[in-house]
Amino acid sequence: MRSQNHGNGSNTRSSERGSSRNDAQDGGSAATRRVRRIHPLAVLSFLAIIAAWQASSVILGETVGYKRVPGIEDVVRSFIEYAGYWQGGLGAESTRTGAEPTNWGATLGLGHNTLVTMLRTIAGYTIGVVTGIGLGFLIAWSKTARGLLTFPAHLARMMPLLAMIPLFALWFGDSQFGVLTFIAFAVGILLFAITINAIGNVPLHYWQYARSLGASPLRTYARVVFPAAFPQLRGGLLLAVAFSWSAALAAEFLGQQVGLGHVLQSALYYASTDVVALTGLVVIVFAAATYLAANKTLAWLTRWAE
Amino acid sequence: MRDASLTVARGEFVCVVGPSGHGKSTLLNLIAGFIEPSNGEIFVNGKPVEGPGPDRGVVFQRDTLFLWRRVAANISFGLEARGVPKQERKATVERYLKTVGLEDFAGAWPRQLSGGMRRRVAIAAVFANEPDVFLMDEPFVGLDYLRRAQLHKVLLDLWAEGGHRAVFMITHDVDEALALGDRILVVKEGQIVEDVEVALPRPRSTYMITGEEASIIRRSVVLHFGDLEIA
Repeated sequence: MRSQNHGNGSNTRSSERGSSRNDAQDGGSAATRRVRRIHPLAVLSFLAIIAAWQASSVILGETVGYKRVPGIEDVVRSFIEYAGYWQGGLGAESTRTGAEPTNWGATLGLGHNTLVTMLRTIAGYTIGVVTGIGLGFLIAWSKTARGLLTFPAHLARMMPLLAMIPLFALWFGDSQFGVLTFIAFAVGILLFAITINAIGNVPLHYWQYARSLGASPLRTYARVVFPAAFPQLRGGLLLAVAFSWSAALAAEFLGQQVGLGHVLQSALYYASTDVVALTGLVVIVFAAATYLAANKTLAWLTRWAE
Repeated sequence: MRDASLTVARGEFVCVVGPSGHGKSTLLNLIAGFIEPSNGEIFVNGKPVEGPGPDRGVVFQRDTLFLWRRVAANISFGLEARGVPKQERKATVERYLKTVGLEDFAGAWPRQLSGGMRRRVAIAAVFANEPDVFLMDEPFVGLDYLRRAQLHKVLLDLWAEGGHRAVFMITHDVDEALALGDRILVVKEGQIVEDVEVALPRPRSTYMITGEEASIIRRSVVLHFGDLEIA
């Protein structure tokens, strides 16, 4: 009887919580939809930005052959320029062979360059996450590692990232390896610092409890300290998504022959502000998509957290 | 702690009371192996204590449930750590879930449980690991009277199921010590100043722990806190 009472009470509680969680995940209920409806002021601010953009374009006009602020119609029209970034194939010839640019060629050019940048971003992000978090855990675990690595790791953290670009260019040239290393470096140093902090915040009694249940120090570290610290890494992991996109574009800017960073570099060379703007919009869309995907994944991984 | 000498027999339920900051938790942490004594030695089953180990299970005052493991996985953590085979682990977890009345919550996350249910899981996780000594640091603090009484029953059921191993429990509540203990120790200013036997038969009722015999014990314990002016 006693346990039944408890069970019922908490059934209600857990089902309440469960339903609110499900609602949040599928956006299924009317209440959730109401919460998610776009605020009228957000629409207003969006329209204001578009209007200000278009007004700037008209006011600033054209200066020695290029527009400082391209108009919206210029940006839309610049899509065809992407045909110049397609090396040919799949039914669209390269414009370098003298072929006329086509919408299909532009689609392929945009798709190819976006895909390359995205794959580099994801690969660099993954390497950076594993290295940064791994190094943080290694330093927190081993006194020897702490003695050896703490100073150089913190030194690396202090280095201004943008100032490191020429150094990476000198070290790795225009290689794929250089791009990935740069992205991984940007992500890794951020997560290293966050990991050290997160481990420091894991309550001591978790460690004591696990050890008193017979867990070895290694098992305690892997099965208790790591998951206990993980929710605190969530913010850093999301921040690193935006970081990795910026790092990818910056690294591609230096001599890569494919990728959105290369498109930006080339557009800048020809003062095509419309292509720069369009590429910026593409980056915003894909960066937001990867951010949302990472956010969903991390929300699922920490669904147990209070 | 100083000049503390204490022997707890197998199967004995010892409750420790005393003012806050006078050494109760230090004594428990010493036995658990979380801290080392500057002088003296502690033995469990004839073996000196050198750090924490599964022969001394600890139920903490703070919530120690692993939030990322479901209820059943929390109870099986110690069994996994000690390499108990899967089938045996499963049977043990089911048995202990049943004893604490949470068999329907095996797959729940800790955050889905009430405070009292979480306490039951924490206690079951330690008992399922079958240590020789149970160390408990105010495990029922913050729970209301009725919920506490329910948990006392759960604790005694687990104690019986585990073959009445030694329990060393810190409490602030003398009534709790009278309801559960075979012995009550009073720790004051780092010393064990009272060691009194609770010769009440089991199972104990509210009537028994408020009766004449219990009152004599209560008085001998409470007076160590000083003859306080209440109003």
